[in-house]
Amino acid sequence: MTQPLGDRHDVELAALAAAGGRREFGELVRRHSSAVRGLLRRMGAQPSLADDIAQDAFIQAFERCAEFRGEGTFAGWVKRIAARLYIKRVAKEARYVAAIDNEDAAPAPDHAGRVDLDEALNTLSEPERLCISLCHGAGMAHPEIAAALNLPLGTVKSHVKRGLDKLRARLQPPAGQSLGSAQHVG
Amino acid sequence: MSADEFDPDIERLFARAPHMPDAALFTARLEQKLQKGSRVRFLALTLAGLIGGVVAVRETMSVSLDMGSRDSVVAGAALGNGIQSASLNTQAAVQSGLDQLGLAHLELGSMGGMQLFWIATGALIAVAAAGVMKLSQDV
Repeated sequence: MTQPLGDRHDVELAALAAAGGRREFGELVRRHSSAVRGLLRRMGAQPSLADDIAQDAFIQAFERCAEFRGEGTFAGWVKRIAARLYIKRVAKEARYVAAIDNEDAAPAPDHAGRVDLDEALNTLSEPERLCISLCHGAGMAHPEIAAALNLPLGTVKSHVKRGLDKLRARLQPPAGQSLGSAQHVG
Repeated sequence: MSADEFDPDIERLFARAPHMPDAALFTARLEQKLQKGSRVRFLALTLAGLIGGVVAVRETMSVSLDMGSRDSVVAGAALGNGIQSASLNTQAAVQSGLDQLGLAHLELGSMGGMQLFWIATGALIAVAAAGVMKLSQDV
């Protein structure tokens, strides 16, 4: 008897998808589409653009499924594809350059006493948000981010550091509660 | 990565996928796109196969005609003779089939290379048209 799709591991499904299995790929999409769409929104994409890019990323992933060797997670692999597509799109529209010029436009953080990553990300400047999302959301290394965004490595590192400081301040839970155990609403 | 650049708590928050109420719609849209893409690819491959087939038939015809008349190169002549005899055998087989169908007056042997080429091309176009029609029915 064949194993139900829902019980199969991502690597196994990806191997079947690489052989043309669209049903297996559909299962992978069902499992990870929210994570990929969420990452793109966290990077600063509007919901409709995020969805379009996520669709393109999954189509690319289907065409390149044979390249996925299971060294990382499948979700991480698609997230990196999606992140690169978004960067390409943003660079084409010259939005990123404008964002760098407008670095101090971020709103001031306030302490609502709850952990909402998406809300906290809105308090970062766009380059900080992008660098943080690429680093923590897409799992990209700093040199990789620097190359993808065409920025000096030092600039990427400072965006990540400043962004993290702001996020920590924003996400700081009330005394006696750890960040990891706090309620997540994002 | 130093502590300034990495925060496991924030990493954990990023790892949590937000809830998307329209996840099923997203998946359906993607499946539709993938299906459309594979149809376009199938069409492109059919077209490429058709063009390749036409070129191959044309080349085969000209080889069999040219080589039969050349006798300067022994190997080339032998190959030409081989192709010609295979062609004659095929013609004889097809002719006997036509005889049985009551179409004995249709002499394939009397046809020129160009006539055979156009017959083959027509057959390939008919096959491609049938493929396209089947595809459009699926769509």
